[in-house]
Amino acid sequence: MLAISNKVSKNRLRVLVLASLGIGLMGVLMLSSTQGAYPIPMLQVVAILLDQVGIAIGQFDSQQANVFLQLRLPRILLAMLVGAGLGISGAALQGLFRNPLVEPGLIGVSSGGALFAVLYIVFGSYFPILARVAGNLGLPFFAFLGGLINVFLVYRLASQAGKTDIALLILAGVALNALCGALIGLSIFYADDAALRNFTFWSLGDVGGANWTKVGIGSLFIGLPALVLTSQHKQLNALAIGESEAFHLGVSVQKVKYMVLLLSALMVGVGVSMTGAIGFVGLVVPHLIRLLFGADHRLVLPASILLGALLLSFADLLARIIVMPAEMPIGIITAIIGSPFFIGLIMNVKTIKKA
Amino acid sequence: MLEASHLHFCISNKAIVKQASFRVEAGELVALLGPNGAGKSTLFKLLSGEAVCKHGEVLYNGKNIQGYKSSQLASIRAVMPQSSQLSFPFTAKEVVEMGLTMARSSSVTQIVEEVMQLTQTFAFRNAQYHHLSGGEKQRVQLARVLTQIWEKQPYTRYLLLDEPTSSMDIAQQQHVLKIVKGLKDRNIGILAILHDLNLAASYADRVILFKNGNLFAQGITAEVMTSQHLGEVFDHPIQVITNKERGSLMIHPVPQLNKKLFNYHTA
Repeated sequence: MLAISNKVSKNRLRVLVLASLGIGLMGVLMLSSTQGAYPIPMLQVVAILLDQVGIAIGQFDSQQANVFLQLRLPRILLAMLVGAGLGISGAALQGLFRNPLVEPGLIGVSSGGALFAVLYIVFGSYFPILARVAGNLGLPFFAFLGGLINVFLVYRLASQAGKTDIALLILAGVALNALCGALIGLSIFYADDAALRNFTFWSLGDVGGANWTKVGIGSLFIGLPALVLTSQHKQLNALAIGESEAFHLGVSVQKVKYMVLLLSALMVGVGVSMTGAIGFVGLVVPHLIRLLFGADHRLVLPASILLGALLLSFADLLARIIVMPAEMPIGIITAIIGSPFFIGLIMNVKTIKKA
Repeated sequence: MLEASHLHFCISNKAIVKQASFRVEAGELVALLGPNGAGKSTLFKLLSGEAVCKHGEVLYNGKNIQGYKSSQLASIRAVMPQSSQLSFPFTAKEVVEMGLTMARSSSVTQIVEEVMQLTQTFAFRNAQYHHLSGGEKQRVQLARVLTQIWEKQPYTRYLLLDEPTSSMDIAQQQHVLKIVKGLKDRNIGILAILHDLNLAASYADRVILFKNGNLFAQGITAEVMTSQHLGEVFDHPIQVITNKERGSLMIHPVPQLNKKLFNYHTA
């Protein structure tokens, strides 16, 4: 932890950190709005935005407005939502499993979501009623279901009497990831042309396929659960001493457990259904926060939302400008940043265990 | 009153606690003593509500423990387990604050400071918990548990301690038991598992001797802690000497230097 956190009072530190992250996020949002294959100057961006609320202050052409409002803005917002969901679900899952190595991708939540998304894409057409009833929500819902099944399986496999065995956890995650990967391959084997096209579109989707419908779904099923989850900071703090200790302190452990597992699966599953599986954000984000500002979940949870949003929208910005006019899949960027970090983490764990 | 009546508890068909009935009254310190594997810790879990007993019942202030929600239970009893592993880098003060997880108290800062001063943990309040010594960690955990029941309430509260002084030096042990004894005036009943028989003899009002899942004896300290009782419970000759000047008991395990550890056949 940094030395500053001892000098500044904890409440002020929290406000300070959250405010700086918020400002940073706005900065990335603005930078991201102007950059890309089709650059739009800052002034025009502001003019377009103000025009939406009925204030006309400047000139812009309709092409600029279309690119910004229909393509760029929804994609930036979607990246932020997905990043926020990954960040806080990583933080909450780490708190719940009492282990800093847990990450939605590592323990199979993402791959479960991906598998069920693929199943829906490939076999959904056999049940036309499904698409009619569920509409746009079918894919996110199935992805959520897949994530949920995997997170409960992993939890059952790796936990015994309230203690999570990290070796079992990683092994269970590896096994489930492998199984889901194989089943995804198998489903594609049975896919018809239309489904295959859909699948390809989805798997390459990144945040490029963003539209306002997706942003709406994201706000409802990622944004909202993320905010709800921040209310669990006291409970997650108490869990850090142990499950029985948390119970002694008056925490209804079972309730917190189901809440964290359910909401994390929801946020990650819905995210995966819209952008494909994006790794490492859920691991790196809560870690950076803990390393810099301490372990109190009262700060870690909201800060993970902001930093996750910031990191993923920044990665999206890089993805759009590195190989212009083409785009790099965002997962590549996060993995390039995340993998070395993960290795560093493993080396650090040794020293943590000694302490 | 904390009351355990006819507790009987099995783990995979083996009875760990066979028969136990006892009470802890408000304002008394009861020591639970017995050899390793006697079932003390299991009994402790039954009392704290962590394990649920099918036979027999545990009553807090006359109400069955299962009738309480975990948050209600937290307001009438605090529990300090033998050891706790912290999973993230919290500071000592943050750990102590966790004692007030479910509290709606307005004087959090004051309670935490008071308890940390009392337990002599205030000096390292901003240090990382991981970096503390074993004895310091144990005092921080004690402080956490104390904050939970520190604010005075109109009803009786209880404190359950499982070997609270196992990593401490002699001065700290005495200090901690003095703190615990002081809680009696705050309308709190205390049950402590202790390994050090002398600590139990000097601080406990009553003693419960536990052996092989059975209640061997219980009663006023001086009456229960006799050479005969202790020797039988611990399977080792134990001398109990009364210090006439102070009127206190001294417990002395007799070394058996003549007894062979093992019959060597190869010698």
